[in-house]
Amino acid sequence: MKKSWLIAGLLVAVLAVCGGLALLYHLPLDLRDRSPRQPLAFSHKVHAGDNGIHCLFCHRAAPGSPVAGIPPVSACRSCHLYISPDAPEIVRLMTYWDGREPIPWVRVYSVPDHVYFPHMMHVRAGLDCGQCHGGVAAMDRITRYANLKMGWCMECHRRSRASIDCWTCHK
Amino acid sequence: MKRRTFLQLTGMITASAWLSGCRQGNERLIPYLVPPDEGVTPGRAEYYASSCRSCPAGCGILVRVSEGRAKKIEGNPLHPVNRGKLCARGQSALQELYHPDRVTRPLRRTGPRGSGKFTGISWEEGLSLLTSDLAGLLRHGTGDRLALITPELRGTLAELTAGFMRSFGSSRRLAFELLSPDWLSEANRRGYGLADLPWYDIAETRYLLSFGADFVESHLSPVQYGNAFGRMRQGRNTVRGHFTYVGGRMSLTGASADRWLPARPGSEGVLALGMARLILAESLFDRDALAANGVQAEQLLRRLDGYQLPRVAELTGLPRHVVAEVAREFAATRPSLAMAGESVAFQSNGRESVRAVQLLNLLAGNLNRPGGVYPSTGPVNGGAGSLAELLSLIGDMDSGRIRTALIYGNPVHSVPPSTGFRQALRKVPFIVSFSPILDDTALEADLVLPDHAALESWGDVVPLAGARREVVGLMQPVVAPLHDTRPFPEVLMAVARGLGGGPAAAFPYQSWPEMLKGSTARRMGLPADENFEGVWAGLLQRGGMFETGSGPTETYRPVFGPEPPQPAPPRFAGATGDYPLHLQVYPSTAFHDGRGAALPWLQQLPDPLTTVVWGSWVEINPRTAAGLGIRQGDLVEVTSPRGSLRVPAVIYPGIRPDMVAIPLGQGHRGMGRYAQGRGVNPLELVELLREGEEPLPAWNATRVRVTRVSGRGELVTAGHPEGSYRSDLVGI
Repeated sequence: MKKSWLIAGLLVAVLAVCGGLALLYHLPLDLRDRSPRQPLAFSHKVHAGDNGIHCLFCHRAAPGSPVAGIPPVSACRSCHLYISPDAPEIVRLMTYWDGREPIPWVRVYSVPDHVYFPHMMHVRAGLDCGQCHGGVAAMDRITRYANLKMGWCMECHRRSRASIDCWTCHK
Repeated sequence: MKRRTFLQLTGMITASAWLSGCRQGNERLIPYLVPPDEGVTPGRAEYYASSCRSCPAGCGILVRVSEGRAKKIEGNPLHPVNRGKLCARGQSALQELYHPDRVTRPLRRTGPRGSGKFTGISWEEGLSLLTSDLAGLLRHGTGDRLALITPELRGTLAELTAGFMRSFGSSRRLAFELLSPDWLSEANRRGYGLADLPWYDIAETRYLLSFGADFVESHLSPVQYGNAFGRMRQGRNTVRGHFTYVGGRMSLTGASADRWLPARPGSEGVLALGMARLILAESLFDRDALAANGVQAEQLLRRLDGYQLPRVAELTGLPRHVVAEVAREFAATRPSLAMAGESVAFQSNGRESVRAVQLLNLLAGNLNRPGGVYPSTGPVNGGAGSLAELLSLIGDMDSGRIRTALIYGNPVHSVPPSTGFRQALRKVPFIVSFSPILDDTALEADLVLPDHAALESWGDVVPLAGARREVVGLMQPVVAPLHDTRPFPEVLMAVARGLGGGPAAAFPYQSWPEMLKGSTARRMGLPADENFEGVWAGLLQRGGMFETGSGPTETYRPVFGPEPPQPAPPRFAGATGDYPLHLQVYPSTAFHDGRGAALPWLQQLPDPLTTVVWGSWVEINPRTAAGLGIRQGDLVEVTSPRGSLRVPAVIYPGIRPDMVAIPLGQGHRGMGRYAQGRGVNPLELVELLREGEEPLPAWNATRVRVTRVSGRGELVTAGHPEGSYRSDLVGI
């Protein structure tokens, strides 16, 4: 009788740990803002949507680097010296420039440190930016489209027959 | 551990793991204001090949640069000296670049000398101050009252400084380093007929006998020899090379040996001659080698008659059978190799002792053989830098003959005070320092014209005793300069141009990189035209010139003559009664001669044998310590005829009971927040010995006494919890 109790107790403990972990994974514990206010009311809808500017025109590091890159303030300025220079948000943009201060954009998409995510691989594989970033062309303020959990990555990697080796992303 | 404590700890760890997982909020993405011109891709690293100048070994390095910032340094696998390996000193060169106390612009002294009161000036003002001073010297025809003091320079920078001083008609160019192996090239000239440094084939030898040569941590080219030592032990399937170490203090090298012979300080030469006599008497020597070099074995044996085993055993304090056994093993195992190191050379009889060790290599036939000793190629020393020249310059400074001293490096810290250097320097009316940080020398200066950090500089680095072939490593800037600094050679060229006439004519090149390119082309025997640009780019990509056409040609020809080496009985400063203990000063593993002390990574690097961090210590044998009532970590006073220092004691069984040892490198007055006022400089205890008029580099020939002061030595060791809680160390 002692032995069976012990086994049952162990089983309960294992189940509790597993259940706890599953709960942790599924509970909405990710408290990061999905659609944070940005320091400037930059509209992707106006740029990428209405005016049809290609994503890589500004995020030009994406095809060759792990990160997509945020355009330098000088790039914003070079257009807006001529395009609607009097709009209130553009005036605020120019105050950043005049103060020699970079704009402290709030990050929307991020993966933990133990995940290696290279933009270049995905761009080169011909993925459309929208598959992960959603309909950016319709968003005034960027809202995170994907939950960025491992299951979401794996699902797409399986579907596209990309590598699902652990070392592909965890290195 | 109590159950309650265990549960508390578990709870704390779990809670902290939870809390750290719940990091809130979104990160920031900070873009460039203006992107850099050159092709910097965010998130992608570039690698540049360069050379290390943290010590004279001159290893090749690869620097990882990301977004225009140097991030990591590793060894260059193509470089024949270090083969992709690198020591802690090389890896820490990053911190020289980012050091918070770097001199960011030229400084002019405003307070009294040594007060550290400076005011920032522009480069135009700084250069005009220097130029007008030098113009004054030239106008009065007193160019020879200019002195230039540098560490030992090799390569193009040596040419440049020589040309600069020649154009002034001054011979006062001193290239001095405390740990310079001048003694070794001098011994080679007298013993082997070539005034160069040896290249030891440690990897292929079967029996290594080191007389105080600490090749794993500091001797000549430590990364190369450390690697070769590994191959000697484990690189061959059938042989594991044997290693015997002779020396009163067990260094890291000594701790790696199979057998340790703690010979009495100053008796190492006698030991070598005793072994030589035994090898001759028992006919264990290499007949062919002796015949080829015209040495008469019987004659030599007669002259070594005074080195019978009983006398050698008595003088060295070693058991008779051990001396005989090592001598027989050394002679019977081929190839074998004997090396002499600093702790032998820095005795009053060091010169002859080193020659005695060389005699062993001759007898065992180790010259010019695999597993033996070869001449290394490449220039030994660009500027003559003997101790005699240092003292003659000190004499000139003391008598007021030197009006202006240009100082590159930190001699105020690294020249022993017993030479009178510091007092003499104070009498020089105008001192210019080129230090990138306010070190002890820059604090004495009237004008500081800060040099670039190594990672911002152009240059060429000729490795010290690096290889049998000529190897020249190139340095290239891997980042844009962080501050308003200028490279030392560029400043000299600018000053020469400003003066016009002879000095300007000495430099036909427009800039320092141009001169470097020109001298590289000359070295390769190519014209410096457009075609050379491609070659140059290739050299920079690989890190230097590693395969020059000329292979090793020179060989050693022993020239011992009829007289074998005769080491005199060692002399020591300090009477035996008052000062019962021998003091050994040795280069610290982390700082070499002290140049790395400014870098916190090196301060935090535990000494491999005592695990001490962030300070100095004195090593005392447990038996001696017990006699003096000293325990681990006690504060003790070490007194020599020259003065006294207070340091914590480390009870160290790996040292003779009649010896104590203090590492070099700490005890800076300046050199930034991490080095300032930390530890002691043992050179302050060291007396200068002379032989007749001639000064001896006998830095290990001073005797001291040790007394206990208190129980609070504030010793910080890596293993001791107190080390982590010292409040002044937190926050670094």
